[in-house]
Amino acid sequence: MKDLMVIIRLMMAEKRDILYAIIFGFIAGITSVGLFAASGYLISKAALTPPFYTLILITSTVKLFGITKAIARYAERYFSHRATFTILSNLRVNFFKKLEPLAPEIFHKYRSGDLLSRIVGDVETLQNFFLRVFYPPIVLALVFLSTILFTAFFSVYVAFVLLAGLLLTIFVVPAIFALRQARITQYVRTERGTLSTEVTEFLHGFRDLKIYQKLDEKEQQLIQSSDSYISEQERENINKLYSQSVNSFVSLVVSWFVLALGAFLVTEGQLEGIFLAMLVMISLTVFEDAAPMAAFPIHFQDSKRAASRLSAVVEGGDETDTGTSDMKELQSRQAVTIDMKGVSFSFPDEPRQTLKNINLNLQAGSKTAIVGPSGSGKSTLLQLLLKLNHADQGDIHLDGLSIDNIDQESIWANTNVVLQENHFFYGTLRSNLLLAGDSLTDEEMEAALANVELDYLSLDDAVYEKGENLSGGEKQRLAVARVMLKNDHLWLLDEPTSSVDAPTEEAIYRHLFEQAKKTITLIPRQSSPDQPGK
Amino acid sequence: MNRLGQMTFNYKRSIIFLLILSLITAFAVILQAYFLVAAVDQVFLNQQGISDIVWMLMGLLAVLLIRTMSSYANGRIGIKMAANVKAKYRKSLLRKYADTPIKQSAGGQSGGKVSVLLDTVDDMDSYFSEYIPQLIQTTVIPLVILIVAFTQHINTGLIMIITAPFIPIFMVIIGMQSKNKSEKQQEKLAAFSGRFLDTLQGLTTLKLFGRAKTQQEAIEKSSLSFRDATMEILKVAFTSSFMLELISMLSIGIVALELAIQLIIYERISFFTAFFLLVLVPEFYSMLKQLGSTFHNGRTSIGAATKVTESLNEEIQPVQWGDQVLPVDSMPGVIQLNNANFNYDEGQFSLKQITATIAPYQQVAIVGRSGSGKTTLLHLIAGLLPTESGEITVNELPLTHYSEHDWFGQLSYISQQPYIFSGTIAENIAIGANSNASRQAIEKAAGLAGIAELIQTLDEGYDTPIGEAGRGLSGGEMQRLALARAFLKKPALILFDEPTTGLDLYTEKILQQSIKQLAEKATVITVAHRLHTIKHADNILFLEDGKLMAEGTHGELFEHVPEYRQMVSVQRGGKAE
Repeated sequence: MKDLMVIIRLMMAEKRDILYAIIFGFIAGITSVGLFAASGYLISKAALTPPFYTLILITSTVKLFGITKAIARYAERYFSHRATFTILSNLRVNFFKKLEPLAPEIFHKYRSGDLLSRIVGDVETLQNFFLRVFYPPIVLALVFLSTILFTAFFSVYVAFVLLAGLLLTIFVVPAIFALRQARITQYVRTERGTLSTEVTEFLHGFRDLKIYQKLDEKEQQLIQSSDSYISEQERENINKLYSQSVNSFVSLVVSWFVLALGAFLVTEGQLEGIFLAMLVMISLTVFEDAAPMAAFPIHFQDSKRAASRLSAVVEGGDETDTGTSDMKELQSRQAVTIDMKGVSFSFPDEPRQTLKNINLNLQAGSKTAIVGPSGSGKSTLLQLLLKLNHADQGDIHLDGLSIDNIDQESIWANTNVVLQENHFFYGTLRSNLLLAGDSLTDEEMEAALANVELDYLSLDDAVYEKGENLSGGEKQRLAVARVMLKNDHLWLLDEPTSSVDAPTEEAIYRHLFEQAKKTITLIPRQSSPDQPGK
Repeated sequence: MNRLGQMTFNYKRSIIFLLILSLITAFAVILQAYFLVAAVDQVFLNQQGISDIVWMLMGLLAVLLIRTMSSYANGRIGIKMAANVKAKYRKSLLRKYADTPIKQSAGGQSGGKVSVLLDTVDDMDSYFSEYIPQLIQTTVIPLVILIVAFTQHINTGLIMIITAPFIPIFMVIIGMQSKNKSEKQQEKLAAFSGRFLDTLQGLTTLKLFGRAKTQQEAIEKSSLSFRDATMEILKVAFTSSFMLELISMLSIGIVALELAIQLIIYERISFFTAFFLLVLVPEFYSMLKQLGSTFHNGRTSIGAATKVTESLNEEIQPVQWGDQVLPVDSMPGVIQLNNANFNYDEGQFSLKQITATIAPYQQVAIVGRSGSGKTTLLHLIAGLLPTESGEITVNELPLTHYSEHDWFGQLSYISQQPYIFSGTIAENIAIGANSNASRQAIEKAAGLAGIAELIQTLDEGYDTPIGEAGRGLSGGEMQRLALARAFLKKPALILFDEPTTGLDLYTEKILQQSIKQLAEKATVITVAHRLHTIKHADNILFLEDGKLMAEGTHGELFEHVPEYRQMVSVQRGGKAE
């Protein structure tokens, strides 16, 4: 609930649209009731052969109500949707703002890429929060209360029946089904998880399954989990349908009670017969708006879950927030010296020390290769230099400044980094290379591509999300080209050419060393004795 | 649409039931109005006592129950149909994917397939569970109401029949306007949410390049422009329902006015008839309005169905296997490639005219620059891809004459990234065995593959869950696990895609030893990157741009083929002599 409050606070930035949506929603609801009430009254009145002008008057009222209702409904939809999308945009920006300082550390905490797609999904889910959870009950309550108040003028008893109906259809029935729904949704989710695993295994493990002749077996398993997933979905749908049916039956029965009670009151002389039709019509109409409430608990649960997951991600971020005030900037117009003394590091949850008592001194302008078998801590060493992780013991100095006193971002600003995994964005080669600097010309970029033997690509070539349309080797080469364009004074390269074939690799290094007369620390592929060694 | 129509046609019985139930609902609607009006009429105009209308009230209650129940049953049929369709289509898709030969880059391809199998099939649900039942209901019920209206008061019927067509006409006009727009919008939406994800995933890169702050503005800007674009589409939809609302309101108003005039001025109809019609007529229009929104909602499902159908109709060339027995003692046999050709779909890359002979127990290395077709050749030999022309023979018979079971029973394929299934370690090794392997055999294989010690340090030993839901394995551990599978299987032919990335020293050592050991009883074909492997091969196939450029031992090739010499001299793993 606390998490939803955060969302509500964010939502309130769109107060005006929210207010309009509620007002117009109310007008639409109440005129709809008025319309049917008036027509019920009209027909009863007509039966008593009244003067003609009364008739004209009531008919015009009916028409007026009709048109007002249509207009109000339009306005309600317009404002509520506009508010929703603005809120969503605010949410995205707000969330990005919170996540941004936590990166990249947060990605170490949550290793799976799944987390991010979940975040995006959760933000999307929250669009239902305003549209289906927050404001409809307010509108509904207003409409109902006004209607009940109106009926109370004619008969208090009928008003009570309506009130009871309101409680039943809006609170009791949805609440009962929400409990069941929550349980079923849980099952559906589990089954979906199982199926998703099966599907992934089937497709990604296809070759192994085929060769070990387990494909048929797996197919059968998959069909089974698909079947049980589908049957859970079926149960979910049936429960929804059941809840809707019960709800609509309850509202019909309420109208029935209104009729029965009204008829009784009329025969007892406590209610004028002319109002009977009107009251029945009111009751039939007012419950129409209550129908969507059946889905309210589902949306409410979804929103709550989404909100708390989102805040769980960005929570605890404040503690890693490094006070930026007394941080120094790493200002290098030339190559950087690196000094490590007695540096040790171990990952949380791992008893073994990844780095033990490392002492090294890299002179400005030197080139260093860090070699060792995988798992020996090469990448970790670079992470410490980039301040992506903090050493447990020992000091690291860049240009004589202790790394603890250097602003993280200023290290990055002065470093050309190629990590093992490099991200490319949806767009073109050009837009991806422009990350290195806005003022780059096409010629410079093309030259950089040529340096890494990617000159068969054009700057206008499309790049898909995560560079999906590029091969592993192309991605690595593009990453190298990108840092070549950035051209700062400290180069940190982590296996930048592991998927590139040997001749190309050689060419890349030739260009790299030509360009980089600066400190280079690189982790080459394993055991390359002909690289500059340390 | 057509396709879904056909699918629906397969459920004739369900459709008939839906029709019957809709008719029942229609009669319930009419009886409901009748009882309601009759009760009011009796009490209001005829001044009857409550006891005189009890039977009407009871009748009304019964009708309400029938109405609810029949619309519930209607929904149930739809849900059943949807479940059926989903199961059926998921099954056929699966069959299709199982028959499709593997592609070069399994990663990107399977991403799309996962989403088709999971989400797209799910998206078909609402077409059957909601659209079809609603469509039938909203067609049948207004029709019945119209007929009843005609029998009661012709003028009302006429007004209805004149005004009703405006609703579909408006729907068509507005629908045409919004259809293209909204389809484009859907694409935009998908692209947009992808973009946000993309930005989040690339946050590290953005920060390293000092671009994170500017992205924040970009997100806001694109979110807002997305909102505006969406609002444009929605406005059309809102206008559409505004018009529908207005038409039905005006129509109801006209009906009411006409009834009132008849009632008062001409006194031609009774209060009963007038009120009865006045209750029925709104039901008529609200059904028509529902039909409109039903059409709207059906669209997503139609898109999903199209996508599924497309996947099903995609042409594939499966490897056609025969039923020739491949005797275990005939293996490893002689493998021959005679002018074997292979093309990927879009003609981007092909293997051309590969001819080579691989003798039993030979150690063959496939060598070439990246993109020269090494892995594709390995897949071709494995029988995972069909040859386009030319053939591969084993013991002088075409490979595809043998039974699939016999061939794969003799084969191990150790890829760069062996797939780890979610299950225990023991289960993951046992997958290599043709029949149920004993725990003893599994442990022996693990020992040979140098992974036994690691497993013993785990609390649950061989029963430790690994894969998706379990413990993660390092690259080296996965390689050793794959070796254990091979040791358990004891294949006659080993296809080995040597890892390009560095493994830990221990695994490297185990890998070399194991392959040597396995090679004693098998032919080994390796896509080689390590100079050590290349130099010790009996025969090297040197590929360039999908062609077999040269063949021979390391010494021969080094001497006679300059391209080979150039490639090998920079190959990592030591100097080449």
